[in-house]
Amino acid sequence: MGRVVRFFRRAGVPAALLGAFLALAGCASDAELDTLNPQGPYARTIDNLSDPVFMVAGVVFLVVFGGTGFLWWRFHDDYSDEEYPEQIHGNFRLEILWTIVPTVILVVISIFTILTLVDISSNEDNAMALSVDGEPTMWEPEVVVVGQQWWWEYRYYFGGLEGVDLSDQRNLPPADIVTANQMVIPAGQEIELKITSRDVIHSHWIPALNGKRDAVPGRITFWKVNADEPGVYFGQCTEFCGLSHSRMRMQTVALSTADFQAWVDQQLQPAVEPTDAAAVAGRAIFEAQCARCHVINGVNGPHDETPSTGADLVSNAAPNLTHLMSRTTFAGGIFNLYEPNGNLNRPQLEAWLRNAPAEKPAYAEGRRGMPALGLSEIEIDNVVAYLQTLGTSPSIGIIVATEVE
Amino acid sequence: MSEPVAELTSGGGAALPLGVYSRPKGGGGWRDWVTTVDHKKIGILYGGAALFFFGIGGFEALLIRLQLATPNGTVVGADLYNQLYTMHGVTMVFLVIMPLAAAFANYLLPLQIGARDVAFPRLNAMSFWLFLAGGLFLNFSWLVGDAPDGGWFAYAPNTGVTFSPGHGMDFYAIGLQIAGIASLVSAMNLIVTVLNMRAPGMTLFKMPVFTWMILVVQFLLLFAIPVITVALFLLLFDRNFGANFFNPEMGADPLLWQHLFWIFGHPEVYVLILPSFGIVSEVIPTFSRKPLFGYEFMVFSGIAIGFMGWGVWAHHMFVSGIGPISIGAFTLSTMFIAVPTGVKILNWLATMWGGKIRLTASMLFATGVVSMFTIGGLSGVTHAVSPADTQQTDTYYIVAHFHYVIFGGALLGFFSGFYFWWPKVFGHRLGETLGKWNFWLMIVGFNMTFGPMHILGLNGMSRRIDTYSPGFGFEFWNLFATVGAFVIAFGVLCFAMNVILSARRARGLPPEPPDPWDARSLEWFTPNPTPVHNFDEIVEVSSLDEFWHRKWTTDENGRVVRRATAAEVCQTGDADDVHLPSPSYWPVVVAAGLPLVGFGLLYNLWICVPGTILVLIGVYAWVFEPPDDPDGPFGGGHGDEGHGDEGHGETEESASDESAPQEEAASVE
Repeated sequence: MGRVVRFFRRAGVPAALLGAFLALAGCASDAELDTLNPQGPYARTIDNLSDPVFMVAGVVFLVVFGGTGFLWWRFHDDYSDEEYPEQIHGNFRLEILWTIVPTVILVVISIFTILTLVDISSNEDNAMALSVDGEPTMWEPEVVVVGQQWWWEYRYYFGGLEGVDLSDQRNLPPADIVTANQMVIPAGQEIELKITSRDVIHSHWIPALNGKRDAVPGRITFWKVNADEPGVYFGQCTEFCGLSHSRMRMQTVALSTADFQAWVDQQLQPAVEPTDAAAVAGRAIFEAQCARCHVINGVNGPHDETPSTGADLVSNAAPNLTHLMSRTTFAGGIFNLYEPNGNLNRPQLEAWLRNAPAEKPAYAEGRRGMPALGLSEIEIDNVVAYLQTLGTSPSIGIIVATEVE
Repeated sequence: MSEPVAELTSGGGAALPLGVYSRPKGGGGWRDWVTTVDHKKIGILYGGAALFFFGIGGFEALLIRLQLATPNGTVVGADLYNQLYTMHGVTMVFLVIMPLAAAFANYLLPLQIGARDVAFPRLNAMSFWLFLAGGLFLNFSWLVGDAPDGGWFAYAPNTGVTFSPGHGMDFYAIGLQIAGIASLVSAMNLIVTVLNMRAPGMTLFKMPVFTWMILVVQFLLLFAIPVITVALFLLLFDRNFGANFFNPEMGADPLLWQHLFWIFGHPEVYVLILPSFGIVSEVIPTFSRKPLFGYEFMVFSGIAIGFMGWGVWAHHMFVSGIGPISIGAFTLSTMFIAVPTGVKILNWLATMWGGKIRLTASMLFATGVVSMFTIGGLSGVTHAVSPADTQQTDTYYIVAHFHYVIFGGALLGFFSGFYFWWPKVFGHRLGETLGKWNFWLMIVGFNMTFGPMHILGLNGMSRRIDTYSPGFGFEFWNLFATVGAFVIAFGVLCFAMNVILSARRARGLPPEPPDPWDARSLEWFTPNPTPVHNFDEIVEVSSLDEFWHRKWTTDENGRVVRRATAAEVCQTGDADDVHLPSPSYWPVVVAAGLPLVGFGLLYNLWICVPGTILVLIGVYAWVFEPPDDPDGPFGGGHGDEGHGDEGHGETEESASDESAPQEEAASVE
């Protein structure tokens, strides 16, 4: 495949304009969503396929555009006489020729397209050794990705998805790990994604790792990602999904195998009971107010989480907060949970608790999105104190790399 | 086609059934326009209404661009933004490009085939009024602050009541339904017209390419509109009567909507672009002073696009989760629809090759179509590469692509048509200087706006987002695009000024002499502006480009020599014995009833009652309407002269007004 693509490239006439265009496209300082900067094998396969197509397109464009300009210049009427030019009604051979030439070009492009399509539609067996609750487990890396207005949930079933019934997206079977807005994966592994939605259609897209795939309620769509190196890769919901479509963002955090194992170990822990007085008060407020929608393992659900009873959201789900502090963004990936120095981004978190709809457009009154809870300032302080006990913060490196603006 | 009713009432006004009025007599002013069944007036109405909606859609576009000019924009909120982009798309597709095509088709198609009107003049009027009713109904949603907010594509289940609880999507469903009836009726009307009413000698392969493209478009509409009609009814039932066609909670598959929408939606793309291809195929030969290169290839490629256009819809769904085999199949079909399109481009260039190109404003716009549409076509091929499409789809790369197709292809083509046929329609040319300003501002602004969107898309900027954060590299090109949008607006302003100034300049002057461009097809046989009866005598056609061949011939050396001047060939337009269909009150009455039914469905079912009554009255009166008033100068009622009521004796001759105005024209292939 790669060899043919290279041939394709060499054979392609360099298109100056297109080169400039691609250069401009790639020149943005930190374009984390850039599709032309692949960081994994699938995105790279796609890029290798589309680059030569861009070149061919650029050449054809130059021919037509230059041709039009040339014709303007060469054949414009100088109005010196009323003479008619030679009246040519057509040329059958020529027309057959320029029917066949584009056809041939497109046949060639089609062949590579279909080959790539087969490539990115396939899955390999790549079970990796993992310790889950101390038990050695062979895990075929796969993540269930669930979209809902306007955040992403990621669910990990280490026992494999065989026998896991995903057909009722609003009451999914308990998972080993449930997290939100940041998908953590082992680097260098093919991660199979099973994508679905709890309400409307969304689309899951991490441009550096692969193209996008829609999250369709009632259906499971299949996709995969793979990151060459540990790192942070940005994403954005790309299917219009209502009011806050633009504010539905996500990241993929690729870790080394050892770091991934450490992350798994952490995530499998239930929430620790708070000891600090403010946090204890905050826990009480959580149970009274937040637990209607949010789950904290060990508080309003057993370790393996039952769906929160009484969740009165259309999607029947809000982010699981058991390990909130292990994540670095909140509210659909649009706010930093930490400042770059590792301190809690307290003003933003408090503003969110004070009046979430003012921070992010949502139809709270239509049971979509977090409502304004009417908490007092002291209550907000207590809830923040409690939330800070949930999970351990990641390294400064990750905090900085996941910074959103 | 013949109406037995004609006999019923042939005795004159006395025998009219209950509640039936005689045909309107015109009387000048707005009444002429409201009751007209003249294809030319209807064409002008279509054009005027489309330009009005173009103003609205353009204003929406400017607001969108202002909001996106800077990161974290605060010009409009998320809610208003979603309404703006939805209505911008709906307006431009259904209320601007489609009716502009209808304007040109209505005005020109009967002229180009040498007919005096379309086959069903009253239905034609109804089509226009229904389109207008649908468009106004849609835009009425702004006045109640509840515009559609689910995108023009309206993907389920986001458009269900749960997720779009306002009335916006109901306005969408009903408004498009009403406008859809207009398109469907108009499609049947024009198909019958082309197949039955061509001038003697005009075989299908002597029809101008514009007429051909319009014919292909009408077949596309004929089969595509029913699909969206069904989809919109299902949506309406879902939203208003608790049906569950698209509700996944009750087990429905939301992809059903996508399939229905795009089986309509992709042929719709060709509905938007082919009329413009037709215009370009008329303009380029005229101003290159050469015949169209490869007429048959042009026609067949148009037909091929029409057929293949049905087999590519799922390329809008490459990431929706359809399986790899479907994706592969639609990859291939999408890939190869580029072939006939490419043939057209190259044939246009070959037409210009060796010509004597006159760079009038019209020609500038036509060549603009050739190069700009090429960009849209090529970016289309890059989407056909389905793995690449998984990166591109739903990003600004797509926004760039379809604006190059619909703005760069369709809209620029219509502007070319404006400059070309303005003297035919209004009796004076549009100014060339302002016309060139119009062209250059529009083409520069257009490329400034949509060119950078390719880059934004490849940089990962999603579509339909009401704002974006700084730091993704989106800032510069978004600002640039916004500046470009205002350059386009100035270009459009030049056009508006041109329309006003050239009309003012022409006031008091004699109309433009016939054949201002040394043109080629039948419409130029008539004087400028076209007289109400079109042709004094129906032209006998013996070749493609009949008009040109009457003016020019070739000598023994193959050089083109003049055979006759345009003035000698053109008709004078003073025939006074032509029978034409009379105006009618009822098309507008029927059309006025449907929006009322729509409001009833939205707010209170009782409002449906007066709406339904209005429709029933309209249909009843339409059916029992007396036949034409044959005593006027052109069958009466076309406005310029008063005429009495005496002399109904010849009514039998006039048959019904829906029959072909000229019997000799029936030369079906």
